[in-house]
Amino acid sequence: MRIHTVQRRKLQNVGRFILNIPLMLVILVPLLYTFSISVMPPDEIYGNHLIPTSVKFTNYIQAFTNPYYNFPRMILNSFIVATTVMLGQMVTCSLAAFSFSFLEFKGKKLLFLAVLATMMVPGEVTIIANYLTMMRWGWLDSYRALTFPFLTSAMGVFLLRQYYLTFAKELYEAAKLDGCSNLRFLGSIVVPLSRPALGALGAYVFLNTWNQYMWPLLVTNSRNYRTVQIGISMLYDIDAVSLGLMMAGVVIVIVPSLSIFVFMNKQLINGLMSGAVKG
Amino acid sequence: MKKTLALILVGLLAVSLAFAAGSKETVAKDAGPVKITFWHAMGGVNGEAIASMVAEFNALNAGKIEVTSEFQGSYDEEFAKLQASGGNYPCDIVQIYDIGSRYMIDSGWVLPVQEYVKKDNWNVNQIEPNIAAYYTIDGTLYSMPFNSSTPLLYYNKTAFDEAGITKVPTSFEEIYEVAEKLRVVNPDGSVKRYGFGMGNYGWFFEQWMGKQGLHYVNNNNGRGEQYATAVAFDQNGGGLEIVKVWDKVLKEGISPYLNIGNDDAKAAFISGNIAMTLESTAALKSLLLNIGDRFELGVGYFPNIHKNDVGGVSVGGGSLWMLNTGDTRREDATWEFLKFMISPEQQAIWNVKTGYFPITVAAAETETFKQNIAQYPQFQVAIDQLHDTAPQYAGALLSIFPEARTTVEGYIARLANRTVDAKGAVEGMARDINKALEEYNLVNY
Repeated sequence: MRIHTVQRRKLQNVGRFILNIPLMLVILVPLLYTFSISVMPPDEIYGNHLIPTSVKFTNYIQAFTNPYYNFPRMILNSFIVATTVMLGQMVTCSLAAFSFSFLEFKGKKLLFLAVLATMMVPGEVTIIANYLTMMRWGWLDSYRALTFPFLTSAMGVFLLRQYYLTFAKELYEAAKLDGCSNLRFLGSIVVPLSRPALGALGAYVFLNTWNQYMWPLLVTNSRNYRTVQIGISMLYDIDAVSLGLMMAGVVIVIVPSLSIFVFMNKQLINGLMSGAVKG
Repeated sequence: MKKTLALILVGLLAVSLAFAAGSKETVAKDAGPVKITFWHAMGGVNGEAIASMVAEFNALNAGKIEVTSEFQGSYDEEFAKLQASGGNYPCDIVQIYDIGSRYMIDSGWVLPVQEYVKKDNWNVNQIEPNIAAYYTIDGTLYSMPFNSSTPLLYYNKTAFDEAGITKVPTSFEEIYEVAEKLRVVNPDGSVKRYGFGMGNYGWFFEQWMGKQGLHYVNNNNGRGEQYATAVAFDQNGGGLEIVKVWDKVLKEGISPYLNIGNDDAKAAFISGNIAMTLESTAALKSLLLNIGDRFELGVGYFPNIHKNDVGGVSVGGGSLWMLNTGDTRREDATWEFLKFMISPEQQAIWNVKTGYFPITVAAAETETFKQNIAQYPQFQVAIDQLHDTAPQYAGALLSIFPEARTTVEGYIARLANRTVDAKGAVEGMARDINKALEEYNLVNY
């Protein structure tokens, strides 16, 4: 009997593979084609070639070494900005989520609703106002301008609060009885226990910040603070487009986002699902 | 309650102190070279060309003037950024696309180039008259032309030779004929190669109004004493003629529908799926590079709607606008920089590197330019076409041009989907653009 179930499971696995491979191809082909174009000689790009006849990395070398594009600097900038925003949100959101879940105070519900309400305002509405504020403060062209407006988010507060609500209230009460302060309880009990949710939030925020385009374009002018997404648009021109170079830029830029998905895949899925069912 | 209030107040105080510290940085310094900032929207090789021109200017003027060039995204993005911040004069000189001209003039942020032309006794005739015409309103040159282009007909010369076609079509009547011969059909009945194909690009619509010698908007095409208050293409019939061509081309399968913008048309042409297409002169070099040895590239004039049309093409692209910063030292420096950017040598280099016209007449005399024409004889057609047009076809000025262009493209897309007919499309365009224009005028004048 046991052998039978093992065999059946194997068969099921094979079935899953057969179903998944076409799906994987559909998703991966554009990415692979992007890479393929980036190493193609220019006259093959429009010549109905899927795979280049000869592989050349000149586009990558150009993107990396041409001082006009200065990709290494832009990658560094993107890393600094995305990491700062990620850490900032993890700190502020877990603090806010803690008070919205464990503490009892007047107007808690109203305050939480107000926080949630900000999720309904799309970023495009506030972008010009925020830009003008940054300009008045003289913050343009700095890491401050790139990170400050994003150091907290309603979505992060919400995600973590939902996760904290799953914790037994007794945990908090016991800690309190033993004389544990709120901050210590958050630091040594809540945070270690909510690693999946925090990890998911971190990865999500990092990717979002990494992919930002309009805001960095608005608040930076000098090349010292430009981020990678602007680097890609620097490779494009309406009249003189060099697809190979652009695709090389795209590949360079998606490597970090892809690796985040690969390394944090498990946490991303576990964490984002965690708020869905209150248990 | 008191405690919280106190806390909030202390917090506010701390925050405002932090910001006060930040705003002190903007103190002007009089010592050292005059620093000016140049915003542009050129990506790729064009952006590299700008960077090297600016570097050369800085080297020549070391210790006196220092220009910082800053890329600000596409034309649209740069324009939007300027609209948001223009009143604070974030830069000294800015490159704006042709269709942003009226907005710039109306904004009040601009120092017309004409003022320095007068002050410096500079001869405006150094600029190609047909290019200068676009940026001249009532005898005032508002901005300095810089990257100018016109549309052209590009064709697959190899396919032309195979089909035995020797004459390059100059009007749509001829295009229909030639396209029929160039069309290649697979055994299963599907089309392997279309004779002709063009993108759904609003710029072409504007060009064809000029090619018919007609106005796009009223009040002398928006160049009169009063700004434009309504479109003219519906009243003078020019719009309908253009849309009818578009309709015929799509309905009869002379061209496939190639989406909004020009990227798909370009891709289809390069890969050999269409034998003729319409594209900017500035695309010549990237077309040659991408085509490689697959076929020979031919170039002809932008086609007329009808054989006997009398008008001409107008220039597109961008120009350089001086902002009215009120700082005479910086404005003087900006003028020096402008003169350098359009000097014959620099324009010849610019032309070679990017494919935009040299806007200075004398650039044609330079060795750099002559070598380039010898290498790319196709470019001569573009030059001839520019010389064959006339200042009265310079094209419209319209505050809401970016929006108008999108509207036109939207209706052409609906025409392609058959949800509107030619007459309805023109009526719709006129109605939508007039409404937007009326709103703009109410708010701004």
